[in-house]
Amino acid sequence: MRKVAIVGIGHLPFGNLSKFDLVDIMSFASSDALDDAGIRKDRKIIDQVFVANVGAAILNNQTGVASSLVSRIDLEPAMAETVENGPASGASAIKCGYMAIASGLADVVMVTGGEVMRSVSGWKATDFVAMLLHPEAEYDYGLTLPAFAGMFTRLYMERYGLTEEELALVAVKDHENASRNPYAHVPYPCTLEGIYASPDAGIVNNLLADPLRLYGMCPVSDGAASLILCALDSPKMKHFKKKPPIRISGIGSATDTHCIHYRKDPLELKAVALSAERAYKMAGLGPQDISFAELHDAFVILELAISEEVGFFKKGKAREAVKKGITRIDGKLPINTSGGLKAKGHPLGATGVSQVFELAKQLRGEAETGRQVKDPKHGMAVNFGGFGNNVVTTICSKE
Amino acid sequence: MMDPQVVDFSTYKPRTPEVYGRKCSECGTIHYPAPMICGNCSNRRDPSGVQHSAWEKVPMGGKCKLLTWTRVFALPEGFNDRCLLFGIAEFENGLRASGRLSVEEPKIGMDLIAEIGLVREKIGKDVYGFLFKKAGKQEQ
Repeated sequence: MRKVAIVGIGHLPFGNLSKFDLVDIMSFASSDALDDAGIRKDRKIIDQVFVANVGAAILNNQTGVASSLVSRIDLEPAMAETVENGPASGASAIKCGYMAIASGLADVVMVTGGEVMRSVSGWKATDFVAMLLHPEAEYDYGLTLPAFAGMFTRLYMERYGLTEEELALVAVKDHENASRNPYAHVPYPCTLEGIYASPDAGIVNNLLADPLRLYGMCPVSDGAASLILCALDSPKMKHFKKKPPIRISGIGSATDTHCIHYRKDPLELKAVALSAERAYKMAGLGPQDISFAELHDAFVILELAISEEVGFFKKGKAREAVKKGITRIDGKLPINTSGGLKAKGHPLGATGVSQVFELAKQLRGEAETGRQVKDPKHGMAVNFGGFGNNVVTTICSKE
Repeated sequence: MMDPQVVDFSTYKPRTPEVYGRKCSECGTIHYPAPMICGNCSNRRDPSGVQHSAWEKVPMGGKCKLLTWTRVFALPEGFNDRCLLFGIAEFENGLRASGRLSVEEPKIGMDLIAEIGLVREKIGKDVYGFLFKKAGKQEQ
């Protein structure tokens, strides 16, 4: 199989971008990636574009966004398709790019993820995201992703003794990282005192899906991110001399039951474990080889649970790692160096691309001061679709 | 006097809302919600009942135990409540379901009774589903 490398990266600051057109913000991130790769003038060497997006039709009254993006940045006649896999659309689009190159269909692929969700009310956005649940057995009740995260958290607390204070520590760590990330939606630090220990904490950090509070959840974000991939054996690699290539050494995905109640153990995230296992196998690596990770913490509980499922920590022990500082930037295994979905933000289609953008940035040694992991060799990203029913794991390595 | 040819709908009894599981016509496994292929024996279900069996409807409800729960304050479009309680419960036959919880102080493992009630009002369509309530003494 051909080896695939990331040769260009682009990112727009996440936040409220509802004044802007969806394809415009995707074009901006894509143009950044072209500039980063040094191929704006030679952009026609791109054979294929994959766009990750979930809600254009519902939230922005727009369809055919891949064709629209290609036209907006003058990439015709490149092949172009949109990939939709819920919140894991970004990583799925990267996987499609990987497959297109590995199969020989393409040499150079652009993967751009984008979402404008704040064009509608929070009420509508919550409903839109909940549409990925089972229509009759879940969605019709008014159940939402935060509701399932709340139920997951309660069960995790009951089984492993996790405390609210420990959950708050994850948020504090993520916000600290986001405060140094120019692309973060919420680039502000928060303190344990402010969101947990002070008498006002219950007001500042109010309950949203008991026991999960405001600081236990990601914001509703708009944003875009873009990558350019190239086959390492392609003659077109000669165009990419500007930055060191970062290899996609492993990529794997897996599915689990649509209905959460179908799972024998609701705390078991089988698709996470299996997607990671597949990515490790392709990369010839194990959890002990990973230098840092971007884990899909749409809810802070997921950072803990995913880090256990991918083998970083034993079940129920991730909270101890957080308390010991192991997952901080200067710890043994930094997690969510970007601030994670929790503080960097979660524009659905852009999220998975943004996670791998962060891997490439860290592996190149280009992260901002105070946010750079020391001498990383392999980074892992877990992009979590639905409530764990479709998960993609990507491992990137220094070439 | 009413014309005997005219059907008097006012005499019709309102239909009792029910939520169904489906029993595989081959192996008897009950599923909720029903898949199109039985995960146990790979038998196919055909909702039209033309090419394959439609599988027997199995009304659901009754005794169950609360596996986990939450109280949600940020509800989606279509819900005007300040907050709602939700839970996942396990029935005596091992089937599980998510549903609305009507218990003041929920506790994991508590005994519940699942009744069928209105869970959502859509334009032109009322949606019925599980309402998990605290079990009485005789049901515990």
